[in-house]
Amino acid sequence: MRVVIAEDLALLRDGLTRLLRDNGFDVVAAVRDGEALVHAVLLDEPDVAIVDIRLPPTFRDEGLRAALTVRERRPGTAVLVVSQYVEQEYAAELLADGRGGVGYLLKDRIMDVDDFVDAVRRVADGGTALDPDVVAQLFSRQQAEGPLERLTPREREVLSLMAEGRSNAAIARQLVLTVGAVEKHVASILAKLRLPRSQDDHRRVLAVLTYLQGN
Amino acid sequence: MRARVRTLAFLLTAVPLGAVGVLVLIAGWTLTVLLAITPAVVPVLLGFRAVLGSLARAEASLANTLIGTSVRPPVTAAGGRNFWRRGYSVLWDPAFWRQQLYVLLRVLVGWTLAVLEVSLLATALGATAMPIYYRWSHPEIANGWPVDTLPRALLCVPAGVVLLFVGIWLLRPLRTLFRGLATRLLGDDRVAAMTPAEARARRLHALELHAGFFGLLNALLIVIWALTSRGYFWPVWTLLALGLPLAIHAWVVLVRERPQVARRQRVPRALGYYEGVALSVSLFLVLVWAVTGRGYFWPVWPILGFAIGLAAQAFVVVVRRVRRGEERIETLETSRAGAVDLQESELRRIERDLHDGAQARLVDVGMSLGLAEQKLRTDPGAAQELLAEARRGTHEALEELRDLARGIHPPMLTDRGLDAAVRSLVDRSPLDVHVDVELDGRPTPAVESAAYFVVAEAVANASKHAGANRLDIRIRPLDGADAIEVEVEDDGHGGADESGRGITGLRQRAQALDGTLAVSSPEGGPTVVRAVLPCAS
Repeated sequence: MRVVIAEDLALLRDGLTRLLRDNGFDVVAAVRDGEALVHAVLLDEPDVAIVDIRLPPTFRDEGLRAALTVRERRPGTAVLVVSQYVEQEYAAELLADGRGGVGYLLKDRIMDVDDFVDAVRRVADGGTALDPDVVAQLFSRQQAEGPLERLTPREREVLSLMAEGRSNAAIARQLVLTVGAVEKHVASILAKLRLPRSQDDHRRVLAVLTYLQGN
Repeated sequence: MRARVRTLAFLLTAVPLGAVGVLVLIAGWTLTVLLAITPAVVPVLLGFRAVLGSLARAEASLANTLIGTSVRPPVTAAGGRNFWRRGYSVLWDPAFWRQQLYVLLRVLVGWTLAVLEVSLLATALGATAMPIYYRWSHPEIANGWPVDTLPRALLCVPAGVVLLFVGIWLLRPLRTLFRGLATRLLGDDRVAAMTPAEARARRLHALELHAGFFGLLNALLIVIWALTSRGYFWPVWTLLALGLPLAIHAWVVLVRERPQVARRQRVPRALGYYEGVALSVSLFLVLVWAVTGRGYFWPVWPILGFAIGLAAQAFVVVVRRVRRGEERIETLETSRAGAVDLQESELRRIERDLHDGAQARLVDVGMSLGLAEQKLRTDPGAAQELLAEARRGTHEALEELRDLARGIHPPMLTDRGLDAAVRSLVDRSPLDVHVDVELDGRPTPAVESAAYFVVAEAVANASKHAGANRLDIRIRPLDGADAIEVEVEDDGHGGADESGRGITGLRQRAQALDGTLAVSSPEGGPTVVRAVLPCAS
């Protein structure tokens, strides 16, 4: 799997490159700003680009803008944006085009190597990886007496993991349940929130996020 | 018909009331000008307004009875913070000037129209009654057309009847005219209810009307002078008498609408008005002197008086400016000391947070890693446990550093500005928050940051102390000033401690930018935090 990295700090750039190579990824380019990222993507045609939000020259949301440019110039490129902080608004901007292959994670998550590698693969395959912090923020904005209150604690856990973009199998692994049990929970959640069933993980994420943001 | 009779009566009352009004104006202004720079001018102005006010009320009740208006002159209480302002506030009272204008118009227009109307009616009656008395008087209507026979006298009757009808008919438009004048000048101030732009247009329009009236009337008088005697140039007197108020009016409007006129001379507005009035009156007196034989140059005395007044006022202005400068230095010293204190205590807080938080966590992570290293060979299971613990510790340390960084300067503020940062802040709050940010462009970073922390502190207080459910956040440019206004209102139970650390810090922050912070939090709520932050650097 071909990966391009955009990160301005050499320490993190090299660490990330090593981590991904050790896990069987082919890091074809590691660049230090947004412009170089767009070049590298067009030249090396990677499966996924991992982009830090804060990049030169402005050290603002340069990386996010570069990621959006990449998806515009070469549709189908999966993009995983990593950052020292997460903002709901940025998540919304990344997800806005409605196509899959998007991730937005705190840099902390890289330390949980298995989970991170799983997220990179998921995004490269057209899935979604949304940071638990963003999901938690979305949950915290919910009114106390909404339909969410009718979910059992276990169902809320499942819903959070769904919003992060995980598949039923991954949810089952995480919560130490059988896939059948997770499927039952998912069906119950979708019924309680009146959301459409969908086989496509990414579409399921969008439905859940739209629901969470809409209330 | 009754209405017309009443209108005629109203026209005739112009004679006595107009005379009284002119007397009041002359006495009032003479005393005011003579005592202008003495303390006695204050009671004079207040008395002047009181007398003028009673006259206006008498005029209003007369107009209400005779020409069917329904006006009530506004009663204005003396305002002003101190003795002098109390007096000068009279001059800023629009009702005071409108009442004077009414009195003047009652004389200038009222007398003229009353005389014309009465002469017209008298002529009409005379002509109609001609057949009765032509025998004794033989009036000569035109050259070589004496009315000395009955047929000639009878011929006059239809002319008289027509004139009579014209005279009676004319009473109607006259009534409308005076109704309009009384409503506009004696009634409530409609200018006060206007927007500044409308009021400004209206003031300029009023000046145009005044100038137009001046031009027309004098042109008319000069034509009359040219057509008649052409002897002594008497219209010079109306030119001078009406020119003086016009000059003063024009100057006042100029200083008011074009503040740069006064600013360029580095004088306050009041002094600007004074200068204009003194200059106009001096010029008027010199012209009067020039017209009246140019003997002894008597205007030197009032001009000297004005010069002394001007010098005294200028002195007061300079003294006040110096004192204001000193006060300003004092404020700056206090706010700078506050800013330094604030910075100092912020740095200490950050140091403590780092020491107790992230640093301690990293030590803990290091210890876990050391232990894991030891146990790697002997007890790989325990080593794995320790490594996982170290990873969790790192995550927690990062989380604390992130919160700390957000408290120093939120990343969203750097990235996207105030609006986005405030929205991101309230996204993290469980309260029902309404954000309304109306800014054109981005303020300076210092202002953005101060505004952000005002909101952040208010939001934190609202959920922590006030027990609020709903918050309204408004950030917008302050009208007419280069500043932004930040307002946060909650529906909590109020009673916020204004001397608390958070509020004090915010106040110092605002003062360091030359701004202000006010907290209103009565028991029972609501709490409103309002900061005004100047944008000019």
